[in-house]
Amino acid sequence: MPAEVFSFDLLLNYLLVGAALLALGMVGFLARRNMIVMFLSAELMLQGTALTLVGFGRYHGNWTGQVLTIIILTVAACEAAIALALILVLFNRKAALDVTLWDAVREPELPEPPGPAEEAAEAEPLEVVPGPESYPRLTPAGQEPAHPASAWTVRRD
Amino acid sequence: MSEYLVQHCWLVPVLPLLGAVLTAVTGRFLGKWAHLPVVLGTGLACLVSLILLGSADHPSTVNVYDWLNLTDMHVSILFRIDGLTAMMLGMVTFVATLVAVFAAGYMAGDPGYARFFALVGLFVFSMTGLVLSSNFVLTYAFWEGVGVCSYLLVGFWHSKHSAADAAKKAFLVNRVGDVGFALAIFWMWSVFGTLDYDTVLDPNRVGALKESAQFWIAFLLFWAATAKSAQIPLYVWLPDAMEGPTPVSALIHAATMVTAGVYLVARSSTLMAAAPAVQLIVCAIGCLTALIAALIGLTQTDLKRVLAYSTVSQLGYMFMALGSGIGPVARLAVIAGMFHLFTHAFFKALLFLGSGSVMHSMGHVIDMRRFSGLRQRMPITCWTFAIGGLALSGIWPLAGFFSKDEVLIAIASASHAAHDVGLPEWTYQLIFVTALITAGLTAFYTGRAFFLTFFGPEKLPSPNDPEAEPGEQLAHHDHHGHAHDHAHDHGHAIGHESPPIMTVPLIILAVCSVGVGMVFGPWSGSFEELLASTPSLSALSMEHVEHSWLVPILGTLMGVGGLGLSYVLYGLRSPVPGILATRLKPLYLASYRKFWVDEVYKALFVMPTIILGDIAAFLDMYLVDGLVRLVASVPKAVGTRFFAPLQNGLVQSYAAITAFSLAVLFLILVLW
Amino acid sequence: MTVSLADPMFRAIVGVVLGALGTFLLLPHRLGAAPTWARSLSGVLLSVLSIAFLASLWQVPASAFNAIFFFAFAAAAITASVLMITSRDPVHSALWFAAVVLATSGLFLLAGASFLAAGTVIVYAGAIIVTFLFVIMLAQQQGRAVYDRAARAPLLTAVTCFLILGGLVYSLLSLKVEHAEAGHGLVRPIDRVAIEHPTSPNRQVLNRSVSPTARLNEPARVSPTETVPEVAGLGASLFTDHLISVEVAGFLLFVALVACLAIATPKPPKRPAVNITPTEVPI
Repeated sequence: MPAEVFSFDLLLNYLLVGAALLALGMVGFLARRNMIVMFLSAELMLQGTALTLVGFGRYHGNWTGQVLTIIILTVAACEAAIALALILVLFNRKAALDVTLWDAVREPELPEPPGPAEEAAEAEPLEVVPGPESYPRLTPAGQEPAHPASAWTVRRD
Repeated sequence: MSEYLVQHCWLVPVLPLLGAVLTAVTGRFLGKWAHLPVVLGTGLACLVSLILLGSADHPSTVNVYDWLNLTDMHVSILFRIDGLTAMMLGMVTFVATLVAVFAAGYMAGDPGYARFFALVGLFVFSMTGLVLSSNFVLTYAFWEGVGVCSYLLVGFWHSKHSAADAAKKAFLVNRVGDVGFALAIFWMWSVFGTLDYDTVLDPNRVGALKESAQFWIAFLLFWAATAKSAQIPLYVWLPDAMEGPTPVSALIHAATMVTAGVYLVARSSTLMAAAPAVQLIVCAIGCLTALIAALIGLTQTDLKRVLAYSTVSQLGYMFMALGSGIGPVARLAVIAGMFHLFTHAFFKALLFLGSGSVMHSMGHVIDMRRFSGLRQRMPITCWTFAIGGLALSGIWPLAGFFSKDEVLIAIASASHAAHDVGLPEWTYQLIFVTALITAGLTAFYTGRAFFLTFFGPEKLPSPNDPEAEPGEQLAHHDHHGHAHDHAHDHGHAIGHESPPIMTVPLIILAVCSVGVGMVFGPWSGSFEELLASTPSLSALSMEHVEHSWLVPILGTLMGVGGLGLSYVLYGLRSPVPGILATRLKPLYLASYRKFWVDEVYKALFVMPTIILGDIAAFLDMYLVDGLVRLVASVPKAVGTRFFAPLQNGLVQSYAAITAFSLAVLFLILVLW
Repeated sequence: MTVSLADPMFRAIVGVVLGALGTFLLLPHRLGAAPTWARSLSGVLLSVLSIAFLASLWQVPASAFNAIFFFAFAAAAITASVLMITSRDPVHSALWFAAVVLATSGLFLLAGASFLAAGTVIVYAGAIIVTFLFVIMLAQQQGRAVYDRAARAPLLTAVTCFLILGGLVYSLLSLKVEHAEAGHGLVRPIDRVAIEHPTSPNRQVLNRSVSPTARLNEPARVSPTETVPEVAGLGASLFTDHLISVEVAGFLLFVALVACLAIATPKPPKRPAVNITPTEVPI
């Protein structure tokens, strides 16, 4: 790739893009209720930061920015791992990824947030996703295996 | 050996403390042997104290422990051994050992057996520490220590309402006296800059004080003593303190703790002698106390109460003696007072333990109207009690005779010396006459108690008595059930002589009551020598007093007269006392109702305090709390309206608030 | 200050405001009402406009190659992130995030960080995104849920975040203006600013960040004018100057591993009974 002087103006380009990514990630983190999307948004904010760091590193002509980005990468990986573990546990409790369900630690006597019923009334109708009943039936071959003790949807520990 | 022990005089308080701690920790495993550590500890302490008596003639100060050792500040725990201390140590530990042995029998089967002995051990620790201390602060600390032990032991049966009340009363009244002690200490600190006995009690330094300081320090010290040693106006707690177990009454409220006030005044005799006006107050108060307590004692029907008032009266005697220490009589007065303290400890402990033995045998009935003629059933208790009574009455040659004689001589000499120090002579003459009358009264009520209990037709307490409290049998089991049941458990029915573990201490004390007067008294002069070696006492002037035969003869006459009258009236069961009681109803009632002192105190001090407390509680509840609630309601309202909705439990709303605040702050920063 | 489109500051403000509006319109409704055509269309338009305004602030790099790719990657990254946060389907969100990562990697490449570009693609797009998708599929088999169609306080959120963005852009652009006025070359552009506003904290921070004092006393191993072996230089820096950081990062990974095990170890299910509808499994 052609070499070019990485001027202050080019650094500003990177900083502006990084700021935009950070702000958008923040919007996603604050507005979206799906926990997975929330954590994706957090990763987006980290990307914006990484972009800024790389720009600075290039501008100053040293490796510090890239080193810090690698550290950020590590932290992001750790964060993603723990977040996913937490999400799985939380999902196991309430069978939903909605972060709004986790509001037990609140002042008593406050009005409840809009419940699923109210939301369902306003919400666009959910498209029907065909469930297991639509799966193709295979012709039984050989001997019928022993049925599991519980249905497959029940988590086994 | 003796010198070695002087250097290790801390053993005396520490041994009983060790016993107390052992008993407290292992009491539940020791069971009925829980008394052993304390008895052993106290006994060993007694042994050490007796050996220490040998080296008491050359006073020494022992640095036991450096409590604080900063660059320019050294606070050490200093103990001292001199005549006064050694005498008190020997007396306290000796009586305490005997009482502890007695209590092992008396308290057997009580659920709080181990607790009782732990507290007794703690008390002996505090009391020996009190007399060993070499400065006023340490004395004050142990002074409070014995107060706490007294409180705990008076309220030993704390589930009994009257016992809890008595303990509270004792504690509160003693606080009033402690204020005096504390003020005296502050005053001494401000004028002397130190509180060490050697410095403070130096006659030259005391003489250099202003007259007002001399007067007030001495007065405040006496104020402290009135509470601890039950003098007017603070004597009211002592009769109520008889709610405690009888061994406690014998040890703490007759022989040792109540004499702490006497000890304090005697120890500070240099200060006291410098203020003859205070000495007159001391003497007058002692005299008044002795007379009034004796008058009340005349009509009480509760054996222990008679003895309690007798204690108050005898303490008054001691203060009379100390108070006559003016001018040339100073040393003689202190020696007389301390000698009376010394002998009184033996025979009063004996009398109390005897009453305890009666109580034990009568199933914890102590009302003299409900039993009589016990001399056949309880011979040992009867005759040891008789010896104690004779000693108390001052009959020759028992201990009481010598000490009472010395007290009377001291007062008589003071009346001669009064003129020289600028006090009116008639005061001491009046006090002398009153003291003689009191001696007669003492003999009379002692005889009355003895004859009512041990003479007359044999009668044992029964619930059918007119004087029995309603529902007694039940109450019996509730309150004193432990000891009572125990009596049955051991096949010890009501109305039998107490077991040897209780009678042997009685006998030993009886022997002492007979002997100490002759052995240590004026015949040998050893007591005088012992005390005279005390630095603060040797500094006092001592005038040779001419021994007049008149005083002992008068004293003995009063004693014999009182005893004889009581024999005629009560020993022979004459109807005269009943007739007199009805004829002189107001006088009888005044004595029987203790001159309504408790009622007057209640109206004067207790009720105003309660009313003040109620007003304060009302103000606190409605004014202060109302203001507080008003102030509190403002943030509450604001919070409920504006801030509580923010606390909605949603992570994202918290994050949004954080982000919004960040945005605002950031914009302020950027656009500034 | 004259208000005209020629003024970069004005363009920035307009861009940020338009971005806030567009993002709000594109975000799901507060209660999950179905998006109308008008709403979606205006949202898209406003967002595109906003991105255009933002892009107008960028300095065109000297070489055409750099210029084309920078604009392409930067616009792609921002567009993809807008789509990521507004998408109603978490699977789509994850895929859009992968697109953001790819675009960012392109920007890394342009900045001479080729190793990081490769690393980011491998780690994010290759590992993290796949894990996210895996979890989505595990947890949300029914497809889109009600809560994906509703956003939490979208207006407040958009306003807040674009306020922050506005602040950032404003401070960056003011730096640029001062830099231009200073007429300096590469470095030390804002000495004058530092003299004029010596106490303003943000200025102090920015001054330090763009002044040579941030060089950490190490010689420039990447010359502005030539390319050097990328990985060798980074590795040398990583394992000499930043060794402790590397150790800490390794330790952090280990702790995260332990934490994951502790959190995700199966425990008895606590799902509400009503939600369990064991379906008959056809054989």
